[in-house]
Amino acid sequence: MESKGEIDLQKHAKDIVNNLAVIFRSAQIHDAANVAVVSSINKFTPMVNRLIKAEGAISIELVGEYFFVNGSRVKFPSEYIVSFEFLANEFTNRGLGSITFSDSIDVNDMQTLVKTFITSISAPEPLEALMEGMQNSERITLGKIRIQKDDEDVEVDARMAVKKTYFNAVSFTKGVMKKMSSGEKVNVKRAKRVVQSMVDQLLGEHELLLGMTAIKDYDDYTYHHSVNVSILSIALGQKLGFPRKMLLDLGLAALFHDIGKLDIPPEVLNKPAELSEEEWGTIKRHPFWGVKAILDIRGIDRSSITAAIVAFEHHIHHDNTGYPKRQTAAERDLFSKIVSIVDQYDGMTSARVYSRTPLTPDRALKLMLSRAGSQLDPILMKFYINLIGVYPTGSLVMLNTKELGLVYGSTDMPNRPKVLVIMDSNGQKVDGYLVDLSRKTKDGRYPRAILRTMDPNKYRINLAEYML
Amino acid sequence: MPDPEDIKVVKDLLQAIIKAKKNLRIYPANNPIYAKTVNNTHLKIEAIFEYLDEIPLRMTRNEILYGGEPVFKGVGKDDNLALFFSRDGLKDLIFKSGLTKEEFQSFLEIVSYDFDSEDIADDVITLLWEKDFQNIKYTVDESILVEEDEEDYEEEAVKQVKERSAGEDDLTKAYSDALKSEETAKEIQLVPITDKDVTALAALREKVARDKKGKLIDILYEMLLMSEDFYEFHEITAIVANAMEYSIKQGDLRTAIEILWRAKTFDETTVTEFDSKEELNHIFRSAESPEIIKVIGDMMDEEPGIEDIVLQEYVSFLSRNSIPQFITILGELKTIKARKSVVNALVFLGGKDIAVLAKGLSDSRWYVVRNIIYVLRKVGDPKALDYLLRAAGHSDPRVRKELLKTIGESKGGPKAAAVVKDCLDDPESFVRTTAARALGSIGSDFAKRVMLDRLSDGKFLSVDFNEKKEFFEVLSRWRDSTVFDFLMKTVKKRALFKRAKHNENKAVAAYALGLMGNKNALPVLEKMRRSSNRFLSEYAYAAIKRIEYGKQG
Repeated sequence: MESKGEIDLQKHAKDIVNNLAVIFRSAQIHDAANVAVVSSINKFTPMVNRLIKAEGAISIELVGEYFFVNGSRVKFPSEYIVSFEFLANEFTNRGLGSITFSDSIDVNDMQTLVKTFITSISAPEPLEALMEGMQNSERITLGKIRIQKDDEDVEVDARMAVKKTYFNAVSFTKGVMKKMSSGEKVNVKRAKRVVQSMVDQLLGEHELLLGMTAIKDYDDYTYHHSVNVSILSIALGQKLGFPRKMLLDLGLAALFHDIGKLDIPPEVLNKPAELSEEEWGTIKRHPFWGVKAILDIRGIDRSSITAAIVAFEHHIHHDNTGYPKRQTAAERDLFSKIVSIVDQYDGMTSARVYSRTPLTPDRALKLMLSRAGSQLDPILMKFYINLIGVYPTGSLVMLNTKELGLVYGSTDMPNRPKVLVIMDSNGQKVDGYLVDLSRKTKDGRYPRAILRTMDPNKYRINLAEYML
Repeated sequence: MPDPEDIKVVKDLLQAIIKAKKNLRIYPANNPIYAKTVNNTHLKIEAIFEYLDEIPLRMTRNEILYGGEPVFKGVGKDDNLALFFSRDGLKDLIFKSGLTKEEFQSFLEIVSYDFDSEDIADDVITLLWEKDFQNIKYTVDESILVEEDEEDYEEEAVKQVKERSAGEDDLTKAYSDALKSEETAKEIQLVPITDKDVTALAALREKVARDKKGKLIDILYEMLLMSEDFYEFHEITAIVANAMEYSIKQGDLRTAIEILWRAKTFDETTVTEFDSKEELNHIFRSAESPEIIKVIGDMMDEEPGIEDIVLQEYVSFLSRNSIPQFITILGELKTIKARKSVVNALVFLGGKDIAVLAKGLSDSRWYVVRNIIYVLRKVGDPKALDYLLRAAGHSDPRVRKELLKTIGESKGGPKAAAVVKDCLDDPESFVRTTAARALGSIGSDFAKRVMLDRLSDGKFLSVDFNEKKEFFEVLSRWRDSTVFDFLMKTVKKRALFKRAKHNENKAVAAYALGLMGNKNALPVLEKMRRSSNRFLSEYAYAAIKRIEYGKQG
């Protein structure tokens, strides 16, 4: 018998989840006895049985957006994204939280599971149908979806930690830029620490930190913008399945993408009126100055090279227009493509000196979608929309219950986010209570839906009052 | 309060970690002591996990606490594990049951770093973070990340943003507008991510995984073109030079070559409003700095080394100023392959300045001098002879031998032959024979005279047989009557005393006649072949056959 240490669970976990998704996908098209389904099952069972021998039992659990195998979060490569998202949706749609294989399984066990799983979706209570269908199985047990702790204290603690991370990052960025302006040395090790903290928060409290980027009404636009771009880039990188180290490099590059703006005279950078051609020329030099600044302060190493590339390319478009103009056309780096999407989004949705009225998040996304393929990479744009959702955090929405609220975070259903209600159905201001539009009532109805979106800037409404 | 027994074992564990920290610093990873240390320390922690699920440690500046009780006290900097962790802001460190030996080894390796003296780009927290340990958790005090004058930033920013929040009237207006509006939500269409998207993404990701240095180089040369004034151009060339040094330090000589090639092309093809040539030279100067050549030398000695063709391409961009650096590393390289490559490099560079190269003849290491002599020979510059002759009296016979070979090949004039002549008296036989060969290569009448004098000298009779044979072989290269007559005379010579030694002379003279291929020698050789002395007979027979078959030496 193989012992615990002999099999690298983490290494096999991603394949197990992926294969389970493949089985269910093919069973949606074919009968459980079909050769395609059976062949997938034949691949899956020995894999699981081998791990059961080593581990005793194998439990595949969905918690939030992530799968855990025997308690360890499964990290997956980008080629598995579709499978993982499919399986997560199928679990969520049935209210299924976990499948546990407690003893060696065979093809018959799996065929029973597959049949029950597929038919359960059309039952009024899919989970009940699933549980009932599997009640005679001794080797496979199912668990309902675990509601993540919504204990208020835990939520408050998490929010405090996220706030701390966010403001630490902003104040650090401010400190770095001030130091650079005065020609002082900058501590790069600390920059890494700041970004690591953001990566960790995004891997955990994903929604909360993304929510922080939706608060736009700060004075120090430049510093908040740098941090927002870093956070949103990391989040997109995470969506694309980047490993942690890569997320760190991406976050660092994004944090310093606009560092060249330090060389732009403040009267040009902060000019409230339209810029002259010459002033535009100066603005367009900031990618050039950015490379210089990054390689000056950080010397040359793997991550500073990445940051310099992003600083240079983040205004070069997908079709090679934009600036700076190159003598030789070259494909932009993936990180540059990510940062240019995020940079546009955060820029459009923020109030800046030369554009006091920001676009609403949904309008910004619509505009950006129209630029996919010309200015922006169309594939990454797709992933970005999937990240931000149909109703991005910070959107002002009227619900069909006549409650007015701000979108506070996404759920597994893109058109049913979490909403923080700020005016109740009687038009009375309330302290802010959270409703999850993806939650059904006992009779299987969705009690709330979004009726229309409004422009929060028009009414000076922002998340800050409720999140901070 | 924890069990006193637990406190004791945790104390022991920390001492074991300190011991491991020392051993891992001293011994390389392939040393048995290294492996033993890791193993023993892991056994220690595994023993604790027999009855504890985790070992939570709290760090302070000079103390480590377990359950509030001190389990480690550090003084000063050395061996102060508490300071080692706490100075970067690590607050809690928790070892969890299930910790594998691999994880623990990685942890011990981080602990063994000497952050004060080693060139490590990251702090201990980043190193721990990058490892993403499953069974070692930690918490960090992030306040050290904030600048002192920015400590109140959060409070002020929040206050500021809240002050701008909507008032009651704004909310009421928003609410009534929302009620009145007849617009319905127009959702952005979420396009599902397809397998095709994932494949396209994988292709994008593959590109990101590739080395980014090449991309940076492209950008830096674009920036040189974009430079608006001399000062900017100056700054970018300095960065290009740094990028080149970085590439070399990363073991990537090809990127460095690319940088140099582009600098050269830029210089040849681009017109700037300022003197760009001098600035671009800065890049070439960096490429031949002692530090960089030393790095290249180290790379050459390590696996997989540097291909000779790659080194020569790199060297093709360097100036004569790099010669001393290459001479320095020539004496330090350990592998023959590496030395060969450097010699080839010096052959190329030496052509640019023979005088600088010849300075290597004064090097204190005999093998360097020998290599430089070889290089001078390969350079083939007639001026090299003057420098070589000065090294004739080198104390090492191996150097003297190389020198004579070189002088011979250079076919130098009387001055060279005179130096070689002196070497015929060298105490070492192999130097003397090399000197003879050198005279043969010089081939002048003077050289011939020197050889004939030497062979006619009575002292030559007692020389070792093989040396005699070498000398006569050299003499046979002058295919003239003087030499023929001398050899014939030697073959015919009758001796009363030291007959064996005389017979040796006769045998090697016959051998030389065979090499000359002159048929007039046949009658004498035939006679010698009939000699009752088997030794003489065999030599004569071989010479006859050689002449008959026309195999000249």
